[in-house]
Amino acid sequence: MSSVSEDAANQLSRPQLVLGGQNFHTVTEAVSRIAEGKTPKAWYLAFAITSSITAILGAMLAYLVATGVGVWGNNQPIGWAWDITNFVFWIGIGHAGTLISAILFLFRQKWRTSINRFAEAMTLFAVACAGIYPLFHVGRVWVAWWLFPLPYSQGMWPNFRSPLLWDVFAVSTYGTVSLLFWYVGLIPDIGTFRDRAKSKIKKMIYGALSLGWRGSGRHWRHYEIAYMILAGLSTPLVLSVHSVVSFDFAVSIIPGWHTTIFPPYFVAGAIFSGFAMVMTLMLIARWIFKLENFVTMVHLDNMCKIMLATGTIVGYAYATEFFIAWYSGNAYEKFTFLNRAFGPYAWAYWIMVSCNVISPQLFWFKSLRSNLTVMFIVSIIINIGMWFERFVIIVTSLHRDFLPSSWGYFSPTFVDILTFFGSFGLFLTLFLLFIRVLPIIAVSEVKGVMPQAHAHGDSHH
Amino acid sequence: MKVTDKFKLESATIQKARTPLIALAVVGWLVSLAGFAINRDQFYFSYLVSFVYVLSICLGALFFVMIQYVTTSGWSVTVRRLAETVMVNVDILAVLFIPVAIGIPTLFHWSHPEVVNKDLLLQKKAGYLNTTFFIVRAVIYFLVWILLTKQIYGNSVSQDQNGNPSHTQTNAKWSAPGILLLFITGSFAAFDWLMSLDPHWYSTIFGIYFFSGGGVSFVALLIVIAILLRRSGYLEKAITVEHYHDLGKLLFAFTVFWTYIAFSQYFLIWYANIPEETIWYIHRFEGSWKAVSVFLPLGHFLFPFFALISRTAKRHLVFLPAMALWILFAHYVDIYWMVMPTHAHHGPNIKFLFLDLATLAAVVGTVGFVFVSRLGKNAIVPVRDPFLEESLKFENV
Amino acid sequence: MGEKTTVAKKEEKELYGVLAHFDTPEALLKAVRKVRENGYTRFDTHTPFPIHGLDPAMGMSRSKLPYLVFCGGLGGVATALLLQWWTGAVDYPLFIGGKPFFAIEFATPVTFELMVLFSAFTTVFGMLILNGLPCLYHPLFTVKSFERASDDSFCISIEAKDDRFDKKRTVEFLQSLGSSGIELVED
Repeated sequence: MSSVSEDAANQLSRPQLVLGGQNFHTVTEAVSRIAEGKTPKAWYLAFAITSSITAILGAMLAYLVATGVGVWGNNQPIGWAWDITNFVFWIGIGHAGTLISAILFLFRQKWRTSINRFAEAMTLFAVACAGIYPLFHVGRVWVAWWLFPLPYSQGMWPNFRSPLLWDVFAVSTYGTVSLLFWYVGLIPDIGTFRDRAKSKIKKMIYGALSLGWRGSGRHWRHYEIAYMILAGLSTPLVLSVHSVVSFDFAVSIIPGWHTTIFPPYFVAGAIFSGFAMVMTLMLIARWIFKLENFVTMVHLDNMCKIMLATGTIVGYAYATEFFIAWYSGNAYEKFTFLNRAFGPYAWAYWIMVSCNVISPQLFWFKSLRSNLTVMFIVSIIINIGMWFERFVIIVTSLHRDFLPSSWGYFSPTFVDILTFFGSFGLFLTLFLLFIRVLPIIAVSEVKGVMPQAHAHGDSHH
Repeated sequence: MKVTDKFKLESATIQKARTPLIALAVVGWLVSLAGFAINRDQFYFSYLVSFVYVLSICLGALFFVMIQYVTTSGWSVTVRRLAETVMVNVDILAVLFIPVAIGIPTLFHWSHPEVVNKDLLLQKKAGYLNTTFFIVRAVIYFLVWILLTKQIYGNSVSQDQNGNPSHTQTNAKWSAPGILLLFITGSFAAFDWLMSLDPHWYSTIFGIYFFSGGGVSFVALLIVIAILLRRSGYLEKAITVEHYHDLGKLLFAFTVFWTYIAFSQYFLIWYANIPEETIWYIHRFEGSWKAVSVFLPLGHFLFPFFALISRTAKRHLVFLPAMALWILFAHYVDIYWMVMPTHAHHGPNIKFLFLDLATLAAVVGTVGFVFVSRLGKNAIVPVRDPFLEESLKFENV
Repeated sequence: MGEKTTVAKKEEKELYGVLAHFDTPEALLKAVRKVRENGYTRFDTHTPFPIHGLDPAMGMSRSKLPYLVFCGGLGGVATALLLQWWTGAVDYPLFIGGKPFFAIEFATPVTFELMVLFSAFTTVFGMLILNGLPCLYHPLFTVKSFERASDDSFCISIEAKDDRFDKKRTVEFLQSLGSSGIELVED
């Protein structure tokens, strides 16, 4: 065999997912020390900053509740603007967490074990941030429970023909199932934390949270099946959630909103943006906590490839929409799409295209897929681009109503901007808390993919 | 692990498989020709259904193979050669496209200038929907597909000879942009050959709908082929129950995916209720077509969903291929349902005709014959694939 | 891991059983097969992660959880359809947007979500109930070295209630299987 083909053979052999000659104990140590060690000063500093930003969010929401939804820049005809943009943005971010934990699990992509816990946490926090916007957009937030089909005094029921109600069910189911999935995955690792805890209080708290897990073979049997079923349920769930979000727009008759490709297109976009966010956060965490042995270049390379794939699918959807808008021969459709690209919001449209379609194309090149700086910058560019995608879809379709007399333009108010800014504070604050108290890498799962874990001496199936 | 399976088809087996296929093809073509003489219009529509049906499955195979390469999948290596041998038949389908091209005036009423002159919408679309560009596009699609399938198949087969693992990498390099190319060409092919039958109607998801049906049917076909080989004494150890279980999972997942896409298209059009879109479904809810429209969610989704949900079903080597055959049938109904209601002479009722069966026999027989001949030329498993060992040892957790 | 059998000190406590440590998954698998072959039934393993091939080695069949989940999912579908049909078409019918009071089309999203929600609840709570969790106290937790079972040790515990259990013989038997450390567990 030539040296070229030997090189190929090396590249084709299954890569090690955990580096640095680790054994089971060093894995436990490496992950536990992040939460067990003395809280670093930098953490306090970061926490102070993010919680201040969260306070801004609180202040803005309080101001909105006290004054009215009019403090946002929403107007006629643009009744939905930053609020729904931010909602879709955050929900989308969450989707990568479910993709990594569920879909990659079903596809036996073992590299997921190093990043799934982190990504699932991201899902939960992103869903929490997303929920804020529709919740406060209802205006009278104190009666938001009317959204649920509860028999209350007026004897009326929510309207199940409304896509907004499907959203209520989809998002609350998604939040609940993600929480269950995350928690089930955490149980064995919390057991590890319990067994390592020095103080009595910690032992009790972790002990209660681990539900008395004792790694029993009789328990693992049901546990593994339960985990697989949850993955199997989460996979269609994640598709359904963003599909339902897309229904908010697509069941209408507004040009640019009503198009049949919306459900899968939204799902692909969500996964795309979510992976970008995981990448951004993971690169930071990897650097700060020195997780190079767990989040290896193989992991990052795979994530780049998924971003390339989903970014290209999103590009396919943009192109299809554009083509069909022309092909339809429908004057409104055609106008909407030309207006997006060349109208008053052309700047937003071209930001969207260049960030989402063009920038991930860099990942065709292996050298750029192994350059941390490029990855970090591109991941942030994609985050920006995906926010603009939702903005473009929502605002450009609304600002040109069917009647030219009803045309308008949307400009955000300071409340819009600070509410969005503040939601990042909430997201990051929750993240910082998570890092301090829970295992950020799925310890038991990582051990399971190490070569020593295989009793028959075969390293993989 | 030592595998004692025969990796090369014996000539007796090839003969045994080719005889019925060639008979099918000959009878199919003869009856089709007779039908063509009697009812030319019907022939073209029936032929289009059969052609698109088989083509969608071959494209499904191409997609499947490229995905396996891109993800460096280990479990699927033992079934990959079968998939590669299915996909490579797009070259025969390029030849079989000729009757469709000849039938353009019958099939597509946008091809008649006198119709277009009276129709404002068709005038707007004339830059795209015209006979010349239609044929140019078809040639481009087939060139792309033939290029991809020949490259990947060729590399895979060369690896059998020289065992060079770099072929696997080359194929992975072809596959990544290949998937993108397949998506673009396949979507436009679906727009051209199916959607433009009703040239006023449009749906952005249509390309994905076409792929999802082809994908699920290909997985079904793969199961059927593997089981037939098993019955003839091949690949009993290379394709184990574990592989069938995985193929069963894929069959189940693709069925759900098809449903998701089909529902998205139908539901959004149902809800928005815009006449220019609903007309497509209204045609399919008229007369006896309604029964077909009701059959699809039941037969293409609910029945396979409940039948395949259990682990036992997916590991049962009689039940699983039976369900696979059912899916292949349901996919045929799906394509038939997309094409036939637009056939003006058909009216609001189904008239399932001998020509439908004859053209199907002709296309399936021809492609099947070439498939078996190709399968006999090379090993039926990529014998020197770097991940073969992994695939042979594969077990579901 | 130099610790060998520690003799029970407090006689007033009842003996729960023995806990034997093994260093690798292979050693555990080999040992647990022997334990089972020797006729023990009330035994368990304790590992930091699920070991492939442990279920057959311990003689366990597949979990029946999927059947429960299937029923849970059907319950979700039934609940959602009844809810949407009854509230929209029976209890308070309202004309909205020219849509029917009830139609399977618009009922699908909520039906799907509730199917997933009910299935997920059944999965998690079904798993916990089948496992008898939460169980915050267990005799094994009194053993200091048991803490390593969630880190890098692979353990077998045999209960004193087992018919074949005999303090001396069982300990010797486990030693003969290559255990790296054996402890008696008191309740």
